[in-house]
Amino acid sequence: MIRTVLGFFIAALTICIVIILAPFSKDDEPATIDVTRNETGAVTSPVPAPVEATGTLAPGVAEAIAPAPGVAGQAAARILAASRAGQEPELKIQTDSNSIGDTTAGVLAALGLATGEAPAPTPAAEGGDEMMNMTASVLSGIRGATGQPAVAEPQQNDLQTLVAWALKEGQSDSYIDALLNEAATTGQITVPNMLVTSNGRVDTATLLASIVQEATAATTGQRAAVPTTPLGPSDGVEVRVVQRAGETEQFRFYTVGSGDSLGSISVKFYGSVEYYPRIFEANRTILSSPDRIQTGQRLVIPELG
Amino acid sequence: MLRLLSSIAIGLCVCLGAAQAQEVRITDDLAEAAIDLNGATITIGRIQDTENLLTGDFAKTSRPCPPFCIHPMTVAAGVETVGELEVIDFLSTKVADGTGLLIDSRVPDFFVRGAIPGAINVPFTTLEASNPYRNDIIKALGAVEVGGDLDFTNALDLMLYCNGSWCDQSPRAIRGLIDAGYPAEKLFYYRGGVQDWVMLGLTTVTPSNDG
Repeated sequence: MIRTVLGFFIAALTICIVIILAPFSKDDEPATIDVTRNETGAVTSPVPAPVEATGTLAPGVAEAIAPAPGVAGQAAARILAASRAGQEPELKIQTDSNSIGDTTAGVLAALGLATGEAPAPTPAAEGGDEMMNMTASVLSGIRGATGQPAVAEPQQNDLQTLVAWALKEGQSDSYIDALLNEAATTGQITVPNMLVTSNGRVDTATLLASIVQEATAATTGQRAAVPTTPLGPSDGVEVRVVQRAGETEQFRFYTVGSGDSLGSISVKFYGSVEYYPRIFEANRTILSSPDRIQTGQRLVIPELG
Repeated sequence: MLRLLSSIAIGLCVCLGAAQAQEVRITDDLAEAAIDLNGATITIGRIQDTENLLTGDFAKTSRPCPPFCIHPMTVAAGVETVGELEVIDFLSTKVADGTGLLIDSRVPDFFVRGAIPGAINVPFTTLEASNPYRNDIIKALGAVEVGGDLDFTNALDLMLYCNGSWCDQSPRAIRGLIDAGYPAEKLFYYRGGVQDWVMLGLTTVTPSNDG
């Protein structure tokens, strides 16, 4: 009798062990995100994609950042993965000819500081910025889920997305700089060509300063004034007085320094990036494109007005 | 004595075994659903504690009507009303292969507190005619503008839900979509919503704010 009971007991024990161990074998499956609800009825969070998602990137983006991605590059890819597939990597900064006014307005809108100048997805009508922000987040949600941009949005939106995200996260300027350069080099974003420095990098400082300037203007209603501090030879500035047919004209010249962009020079002389086309036009003979400025170039700085 | 010990041991084992072997399944054939969406796997199962009771908002029986009135079974002509199994099936077929979207049409506040896994948030307000940017959403859902008109041939199938049969956010979203030209046969209405979903102990997630 005892033998029977013991035999039964051992058999039961074996079955139990099999049953108990079986469910755990599932844990070997890679990278599944467990979203099971817990027993108290409170909802549990599935570790959201950004933390664990290196394996769940859109394949195109993952490839685009493959060569020595770096932390910033990965972050850039993660943020952009939701809205667009990556493009072919190129080692030059990808530019566009947009002004940064739209970019700054877009970033501010994303941060909830609408300036009223943000580029509207459709011709602006009554409805308010809240609806626009809500629509924008809906659109990014839909694209994240479908993985394909149904509408070809202007490219600067990616730059906006990235900068707005980084600012929201409270990232440092140097981090944002690395992030933007990585993303622009791999072609995930394009930057306005006047924000390319003489070193071939993205002029993040000017972009961020411009955003701050816009934000100040939006909240206080005050526009930045043209800098009144005279710029001297130590700043690379040279003033020539030319007499021509009885008229005296004054020309300012500026020698491009390392890290200057057409945008930053425009800020230096006019107080805002928006005047960079004036500088560009005045120097068409030596500048083929706003992103081609080089250290040591001597640019004419026209007077405004 | 030995016999007593043995039976206790056996009893213990049987109990443990039962607890481990998914006593609360979705259906006879399905203990839980694992679905690949965009490279991540979501799992939908049920709470295994058979004593579990709902607490909080979704335990309420008597919200004031108006505005929280009971909605009819059919939201609009041509829009199919579905239940939980159809939601899970929709996720594992249409959403998984990129031809459909499960839409949580509540305002973002509700969405972030707990949503059906795999759903994206499209607040009903963004689908109403008062949103000047509504057509951008419609186009993102697959409608194509052809000579001023929208062509919905390749538009996604959409399944919408909100808080439950007393919630008007998904009915309003559906009416908004139809008003924008979305074909009714591409729309599905999960009337039970989050209320019925959690009442069955089905998995919910707290999505990040951006959906």
